[in-house]
Amino acid sequence: MIEASEIETKLLDFLKREVFAPEVVVTPETDLLASGFDSMSLVRVLLFLEQSYGFWIPEGEITGDALQNVRSLATTAARVLNAR
Amino acid sequence: MNLTELLDQTAARWPQKPALIEESTVLTYGELAREVGEWVSRLQTLPIDVGARVGLAFPNGIAYVALTFALWRSKVVVVPVPTECPEEEIAEIAATMQLAGILTPKPRGECVVVAPDCHFTKLNPATPPDNHGLNLAFIRFTSGTTSARKGVALSHETIRDRVRSANQAFGITADDTVIWCLPMAHHFLITIVLYVEVGATMVLARHVTAKPLLEAVNRWKGTVLYAAPFHFSMWARDNSGAQIPSVRLAVSTTCALPQNVAEDFFKRFNLPLVQGLGVIELGLVALNTTAPREKWNSVGRVAGEFELRLVNPDADGAGELAVRGPGVCDAYVAPWVSRTEIMRDGWFFTGDIGRLDAEGFLYLLTRKTTVINLAGRKVFPEEIETVLNRHPAVSESRVYGKLHPHLGETVEAEVVLSSAEAKLDTIHAFCREHLASYKIPTRFTVVAALPRTPVTGKILRAAPVA
Repeated sequence: MIEASEIETKLLDFLKREVFAPEVVVTPETDLLASGFDSMSLVRVLLFLEQSYGFWIPEGEITGDALQNVRSLATTAARVLNAR
Repeated sequence: MNLTELLDQTAARWPQKPALIEESTVLTYGELAREVGEWVSRLQTLPIDVGARVGLAFPNGIAYVALTFALWRSKVVVVPVPTECPEEEIAEIAATMQLAGILTPKPRGECVVVAPDCHFTKLNPATPPDNHGLNLAFIRFTSGTTSARKGVALSHETIRDRVRSANQAFGITADDTVIWCLPMAHHFLITIVLYVEVGATMVLARHVTAKPLLEAVNRWKGTVLYAAPFHFSMWARDNSGAQIPSVRLAVSTTCALPQNVAEDFFKRFNLPLVQGLGVIELGLVALNTTAPREKWNSVGRVAGEFELRLVNPDADGAGELAVRGPGVCDAYVAPWVSRTEIMRDGWFFTGDIGRLDAEGFLYLLTRKTTVINLAGRKVFPEEIETVLNRHPAVSESRVYGKLHPHLGETVEAEVVLSSAEAKLDTIHAFCREHLASYKIPTRFTVVAALPRTPVTGKILRAAPVA
């Protein structure tokens, strides 16, 4: 069982480090799309999760709701990873 | 000629027709032409000479399109600067392309405010650029090693020719509404310019997930989808049941279409995905509009007025793809290599290995170049190796593509460390400082030595690994 909170922490670190510009403040509530998150960012995130958990989360699982913020993305990822 | 004439003609013919739709903003062709005019007046206040090269570092949007046409009207050469580039890459583009300045939405150091959301940073190229008498419109910067040819230059006339040739295959008309999802910094000429010439409507879809995208298609009655396999894969798994009956053409571009994506998308929307072959030096060489279902993995028959041949075919008929036709690039920029010198006996060698079937459909097998295709973004191994090799703990490195079932390829690296204490973390952080994030290898492997060719001792280039 992977906790959503664990994924959230990892994602926050990854997004700060590799996706967003240094000046962007990233919190669990950050609106991803409004901060410039695009399809290439999603590719990077899915690759990161695949590397961390050994499973490719199908793109189709990522809905607009999942991309609301970092927390919802982590919750979606946890759901898919735990259901595999 | 100037490409803005294409916009003027469309605006004169259909001033009320929607040109660009972004969120709920609908801009007609008449309004787009006026907006271009306003940008031209603002640009006139800047220290930019005719024939100068200016970097455009804007995200997708109405301003991107309007600024491009305004720069063209001002007889300035547009050099797209992808917004994901870190400062160091921008500096390299600026230096090698001899940019007179760069336009950005946000202020960037010492700059002039052109408009509230447009700033101009003046740069001082060491030597003024020489366009060799060509009526240049556009230079696509392509990175690589110091010895590689950087920058593909296209004149207004060349772009017009390739747009017209491409549309013999696309068949896009004023009745079409194109749903646009790709970064304009990487795709513009045989797409946006074509849509402007024929008077089609472009819907700039900002959201990539299925629900808002399908809503946009149905709200604006989209007829053409133009996106990457990654997008189509996402939409294919939408479970809302929404259909997109207005779409007549769905083009999958940027990288090879995986079979499961082609099938899933067809099952979900009863719409075949059409693949094509676009080459920055040539334009649209082939498009599979005639048998996208039966021959889903073919890029189609040769498009427009292009001719192709396979050089040195093997026993199975596979050979290097050579092409000739309208719209071949005018030159490479740094160092300058003219079109005549680029072509070999009048043919352009693409570096792709292809095969033709009995009906003339082209299949791409592998390529001779080492460029890695990560979900449609081109990544040059040499560029990443140059950065890696500058790290004090790295004595040498080799970057290669790893085949990925959903993304085409991913970027991986092998490094030979100069000290046993070196930490991969620091190398990773170093990459982050110097490379756009998608170019950072997803995996680093420490190796004792790299394989070399027996004769020249050069590092052996790896083919994509499974």
